[in-house]
Amino acid sequence: MNAATETDRALVDRVAKGDRAAVRLLFMRHHARIYRFVARQTGSEMMADDIANEVFLELWKQAPGFEGRSEVSTWLLGIARFKALSMLRKKKEDWIDDDDAAQVPDAADTPEVVTMKEDKAAALRRFVDALAEEHRTVIDLAYYHGQSVSEIGEVLGIPVATVKTRMFYARKKLGEALKAAGYDRGWP
Amino acid sequence: MSAAEKMSRRDEMETLLPFYLNGSLEGAELEAVEEWLATDPAALAALGEAEAEFSGTAAANEAIRPPADALSRFTRALDAEAGPVRAPGQSWLAKVFGRVTAMPAGVAWAAAAALLALVIVQSFEQLGGRGNNFEVAGTQDDLAKLPFVLVKFKPDAKMADIATFLGQNGLKIAGGPTADGVFHLTIPASTAADYDKLVGLIAAQPFAEAVVQGRKPADGG
Repeated sequence: MNAATETDRALVDRVAKGDRAAVRLLFMRHHARIYRFVARQTGSEMMADDIANEVFLELWKQAPGFEGRSEVSTWLLGIARFKALSMLRKKKEDWIDDDDAAQVPDAADTPEVVTMKEDKAAALRRFVDALAEEHRTVIDLAYYHGQSVSEIGEVLGIPVATVKTRMFYARKKLGEALKAAGYDRGWP
Repeated sequence: MSAAEKMSRRDEMETLLPFYLNGSLEGAELEAVEEWLATDPAALAALGEAEAEFSGTAAANEAIRPPADALSRFTRALDAEAGPVRAPGQSWLAKVFGRVTAMPAGVAWAAAAALLALVIVQSFEQLGGRGNNFEVAGTQDDLAKLPFVLVKFKPDAKMADIATFLGQNGLKIAGGPTADGVFHLTIPASTAADYDKLVGLIAAQPFAEAVVQGRKPADGG
């Protein structure tokens, strides 16, 4: 047994007993992903820095009540999501305005001459970034954070059917964007 | 199967592909995707597209670099938030030792070790043992030179199990517990290999919560 193999849940148990080394270990394991998740939610790395810190302070406070019904990573992402939305509302930021975020490149604002110079990977990365927030988030949670359908539902507070619907449209948007850029993948 | 139904099934499969790739799919949905991949010529191409999305998403996320000093700033924030070290949930053993650790530092560990010996002997005898067969490191040992390891026992650890294990392996309690419940055990090893073997054995015990290596013997000693 050592720190590297101790499970997240065991570490949360230690945090619940007041073990600060355990919360620091969880911080080292999960901070980068939480930071990135919030940065992509808010569009602000400064906000991500503040919120990621708050997430782990919240972990410290809430650990005694953690019942282990979800993975620790899912729990932390849920806290991060809640805090990001709260801060955005409080500051009346408009970074996640759907109309703004929904600007998946189309023929008008992504001239083929630009996209054709990119390789497909770079184009995909750009298109993922340009997805509407609600679509990009399910893409991020599935592809980068390894979350299941039900876990994404838990993080976002939405039904699993909605997760699937969002995933469907997210991938459809990516397909359309790729097609517009000259990369026809045959679906949708 | 009509074209509409086929499209509907493909939509469903395309929706599930990201979860197939991240390994979270299970049950009927996993079987459906695997069956699709095995039977539809378009499926493998679709899987390749999903893999490209996977890579693109990872790259987009990894491009965001958290600040290098995040942990140190968090540690300061945690200390500010938490204040003095929180009293852990205490087992009966921890409560007993809590009284000992209130003693002057110079005598605390010796008293703690002696108390542990008493507790272990009592527990061992209650269980029908013939007496303790482990030792608490005494002043005759030059503790400063002995190989040692730091061990934290689980709150629900049974003292009889610990006593038996210590005795069987020639381990001695040289100090502790600290405020965090850590004991200092001397290791009867003359080589680094013996030391590693014993430390590994301690770490493998169900009553060991955490093990931190201390001084190791020089090889050939």
